[in-house]
Amino acid sequence: MSQTLKLEAAAGSTKMVIVGAGSVGTTTAYALLLSGLAADIVLIDINQARVEGEVADLGHAAHFTHTRVRSGTYADCAGATAVIITAGANQKPGQTRPQLVAANHALFASIIPPIAAASSPDTILVVATNPADVLTHAAVRLSGFPPYRVIGTGTALDTTRLRRELGAHFGISPRSVHAFVVGEHGDSQLPAWSLANICGMRLPEYCRQAGRAHDEAEMEACAKRTRDAAYTIIERKGKTNYGIASVIVAILEPIVKNADAIMTVSQVGTYAGVEDVALSMPCKINRRGAFQEVPLPLDERETELLRRSAESIRAMIMSVAAPE
Amino acid sequence: MATQQPVKVAIIGAGYVGATTVYALLLSRAAAEIVLVDIDEDRARGEAMDLAHAAPFSHQTRVWSGQYEDCAGATVIILTAGANQKPGQTRTQLAETNYNIFREIVPRVARHASSEAVLVVSANPVDVLTHAAVTFSGFPPHRVVGSGTSLDSARFASELGRRLQIDAASIHAIIIGEHGDAEIPVWSLATVSGMHIRDYCRQADLDFGDEAMERCFEETKQAAGRIIGLKGATGYGIAAELLRIVQAIVRNENTLLPVSCVGSYAGVDDVALSVPRKVNRDGCRDAVPLLLNEEEQKGLGESAQKLKGIIDSLQS
Repeated sequence: MSQTLKLEAAAGSTKMVIVGAGSVGTTTAYALLLSGLAADIVLIDINQARVEGEVADLGHAAHFTHTRVRSGTYADCAGATAVIITAGANQKPGQTRPQLVAANHALFASIIPPIAAASSPDTILVVATNPADVLTHAAVRLSGFPPYRVIGTGTALDTTRLRRELGAHFGISPRSVHAFVVGEHGDSQLPAWSLANICGMRLPEYCRQAGRAHDEAEMEACAKRTRDAAYTIIERKGKTNYGIASVIVAILEPIVKNADAIMTVSQVGTYAGVEDVALSMPCKINRRGAFQEVPLPLDERETELLRRSAESIRAMIMSVAAPE
Repeated sequence: MATQQPVKVAIIGAGYVGATTVYALLLSRAAAEIVLVDIDEDRARGEAMDLAHAAPFSHQTRVWSGQYEDCAGATVIILTAGANQKPGQTRTQLAETNYNIFREIVPRVARHASSEAVLVVSANPVDVLTHAAVTFSGFPPHRVVGSGTSLDSARFASELGRRLQIDAASIHAIIIGEHGDAEIPVWSLATVSGMHIRDYCRQADLDFGDEAMERCFEETKQAAGRIIGLKGATGYGIAAELLRIVQAIVRNENTLLPVSCVGSYAGVDDVALSVPRKVNRDGCRDAVPLLLNEEEQKGLGESAQKLKGIIDSLQS
């Protein structure tokens, strides 16, 4: 009988639990491992054989970073800094996110309560499964956690994608273009164009200063490519995993470091007059969770688009919520 | 097209800033090879040996001490050499001493540097010395990048972050002009989540009016002096900023950073000061034309005039 290594988390060291050892879960585990943010990573999946295989492979990568990776159970959520939910059916080619709703909602109804029961009072849930907003809302309801302790990855990834598009258009590093996407992580998302800026100058202002035309059609094209990015990638390679994995790690960093970093993530709240819905807004993220400090001053057109996004999500929430 | 060579960085000056910058480069894996040059060869050798013992953490980067000839093949050459700012001394008082040092060393660096190398200047007063480096190297201005107000801007964002309890990386605010007393905080373009800082603070019910803003800027402007007063010199902040500039160059990033570069500003020709520029493998060729308000534009003009005066007096 081979010896099993003792892989217990030391008290006080950072432990992360990833639920779902599919493509997103394991890529997230890999990105997290390379980041050095966690001392311990626990991977949970109903498919025992698969998770053991993934853990063994990840363990060989962990050799280079001294991170412990192992498989576990919901009980391992005790003492976790964060539990990252990636479990659920994948978006299939041509499938819209709402079509995933019913199946993944049912899954959440079975997994969130035991996760919540095992978690510590300061454990944060990060929801990546799609549709992210509906399931963030479901996770709040099913866990009983205060909304700030449940963070949906939301449009954090779309924001990254939009900045990449704009960076290419302007010939500037995406990190130097400040723009973000709010609303649904889905088709009704909207770039907050009125707040987008380069060096603090609004995009039309920047273009004027730079002696170039502000190409509104191209901005719309950037927004469309951002919105359709997942579909485009899934059509070509069958799934997306690297972008979302890195975004999850980017969300975990300010949690671990208590950094108060601002990112567009999905939170349950009231938006454009629509109550009890989850969608993405810029939020401060720290060890306690995510907090939208400031109502975003969107212009009239954007506010209307946000309202429609909120209502679209609300409709999806109602379609799966159990009758009161 | 040049063949892909492992990235080499040369650092002139093995003092506190030079050695700390090498350490930052080592830990970040930014270069395959780092050569340290100093007029005091023993010091350079000692630092290189100590740094080489960081090997378990330096990801196989080769560090060694060398001569000016060893700048050949370097992608980036960082000029840190110069006298330190002494407690109570202003940057301008350093100017003459360090200008003469640059007159001595820069031609020797340029003689061996490859035609695509980028010079990065951190010695103070950095704007005057950036101009001097262009003069004494014969390099085109865009290939001489002074650290300028990039560090001040990082300090500014940190200070604002502390007051507003937001991560500095989520605050976008810059300081332009002279890296010195005539530097200008561009408040009109300072934003958080796309909102101007004033609006953000009002919406968040944060007490941050004119007085608090002015105090924040003052703290930033005096940070270097305070650090020098407390510990004798600044090192880590500038080393980290130099690392950021090196990465933007080596990785051809097109990151916007307020760096010092010789050009025309506010009607003053042939002067070096900081405005945001695209930093890439080519250096810092493209400036971002900022929409400044009247007060800021005036401040930029004053910065330019002041620096022009100092440069002219050194050249005469």
